[in-house]
Amino acid sequence: MKFGIFYEISVPRPWENGIEKTVYDRCLEQLRLADELGFDQVWAVEHHFLEEYSHCSAPEIFLTACAMSTKKIRVGHGIAVCVPQFNHPVRLAERAAVLDIVSNGRLEFGTGRSATWTELGGFQASPDDTKKTWDEFTRVIPKMWTQERFGYEGRAFSMPERAVLPKPVQKPHPPMWVAVTSPGTELDAADRGMGSLGLTFGGFAEQERKVNEYRRRIAVCEPVGAFVNNQVNTVNFLFCHEDLEEGVKTGRRLSGTFQYMAAQLLAAREAYPAASYPSLGLLPALRQEASGPGDPSGAPEGLAIGNPDRIADQIRKWESVGVDRINFLLNCLETVPQEQVLASMRLFASEVMPQFDPDCPAAQARRGQGAAAGVR
Amino acid sequence: MPLSGVRDVAPLLADAPEMADLKTEPAELRGAEILHVMYEIASGEMLDLLPKALHPTIPPTMTFWVMHCPESEVGPFTLAQVRIGSRAGVRPRGWPTAAYCDSARAGEWLSKRWGFPCREGQAKLRHLHDRVAATVQAGGSEILRVELVDPQPISGADVQYTASMHLARVPLADGVKPRLVQVDPEFTFHKAERGRPQLHGFDRAAWSAEGVNPVYAVSATYAVADVTLPRIRYVMHPDLPAMQGTETVG
Repeated sequence: MKFGIFYEISVPRPWENGIEKTVYDRCLEQLRLADELGFDQVWAVEHHFLEEYSHCSAPEIFLTACAMSTKKIRVGHGIAVCVPQFNHPVRLAERAAVLDIVSNGRLEFGTGRSATWTELGGFQASPDDTKKTWDEFTRVIPKMWTQERFGYEGRAFSMPERAVLPKPVQKPHPPMWVAVTSPGTELDAADRGMGSLGLTFGGFAEQERKVNEYRRRIAVCEPVGAFVNNQVNTVNFLFCHEDLEEGVKTGRRLSGTFQYMAAQLLAAREAYPAASYPSLGLLPALRQEASGPGDPSGAPEGLAIGNPDRIADQIRKWESVGVDRINFLLNCLETVPQEQVLASMRLFASEVMPQFDPDCPAAQARRGQGAAAGVR
Repeated sequence: MPLSGVRDVAPLLADAPEMADLKTEPAELRGAEILHVMYEIASGEMLDLLPKALHPTIPPTMTFWVMHCPESEVGPFTLAQVRIGSRAGVRPRGWPTAAYCDSARAGEWLSKRWGFPCREGQAKLRHLHDRVAATVQAGGSEILRVELVDPQPISGADVQYTASMHLARVPLADGVKPRLVQVDPEFTFHKAERGRPQLHGFDRAAWSAEGVNPVYAVSATYAVADVTLPRIRYVMHPDLPAMQGTETVG
């Protein structure tokens, strides 16, 4: 099991007095700490126009800052929106390659297509087309990375032969992922040999069923890239506190704020009925899970909130249903003070992470202390 | 936290329906035809349009909703509404600024049992091969003409219509009070089509929708469905957020 952090970068109103810079600075402070503590990856979404909910419209720049100020943590560029009105596929390939170079081969490349009318309408993109363009983009981008020259005649775009430059450091290319919010997209990921980057939480039973089907399908997949990335990644909230009650209370405030903000957006399906958006995406799942009745502690099933024992117990359950990685949302609308976010990360890294990752810094430090005690 | 409406509903109460009872029995409207047209609206006055209890959608939206019901317990009728897109807490909701019904009997039935803000008018819905057209006339003039152009079949499973919140004077334990009445019909779809919206005429004043400026067409759907108008389950204080102002009925 590996752990990461996941950024929407939500910014509360009013957007004055430098609040956006403050939030970005806090995120960078968190990810520097995450790198020291042994978190494996940091992801940053691509969203546009999502007032307060996400001010992360240029993730590749944010992740460049991340790469420049960290040493080990992998940088997840995702979700890169594979819709031509948002991004030309050449630009996606180029920016990702540069990010892989400046991070010295630490890029994870996540793909998606946007789930809100707020964004699709803003770029005048048709919800009918996004599945098709996503499919087309994910087939061509690995070729742009691996072929010296690339030319193409396709449905969403065409181009004469050109050298798409630079090429990524990782060979044959960085791992590719698919953002999974709509039901069945995890199967799209499997059939194309891509990692499943789950953005809805789901309960353990539902997740186990999906993981099993994903593993079955990916075993016989036809990969879009040069290799199969057979991994299941999920997203979660993190608030870890010595006191269970305090951890659950603050964690529920965090998850509740997030789902409240997500619900204000106009889902693609709500605005524009289309078969390509069979669910409301993030919204109903978050709503249900973040406000569910929960276990005796009051925390909904699966959420990584509470004290270290409860969080470790939840993660063991995620592990048992086949999840490989968990990415944590640390804050929303700055509802948790920065000092508490950092303390939560430190407590998680010292008390929970070693139970799952024997190579994390806290586990290594303990082994070092034990060895030193043995010598004495 | 998200923006909230700032509208004082007190001036609207004089025209708001008074409901005799909140213990409404459900009613089925079989074979109803529905035209639903959504536009984005200019954001300048969006907060002035909504009661304090509701958040505007991001981006701000409105819908034209015209429903022809060939049969009901009060006979056939056609109902037209203008709604502002909103959220009650985390729930998608429409806030009707006004409604027109072509049957006085049905209008009274809808107002007294579900709080629809009905006025008398002539609403018509025509399904043609190249378009679905709706018109509403009131006071001797046309106050709405809206169309779905070039209909294409889609699955009813892809259609989602949001519930609405009706301002009404409702009987509570401590007297008659203004509340937003949640009406969340159930739909069993038999047919659905989607096309391009076209708005040819919209008399804002006639719809109590001054400040509503449709600026960007989003979608238009036409559906044939069995609609069940529900038992009232929740009402909301018009000035309080959903978390504080929601009351369960019965």
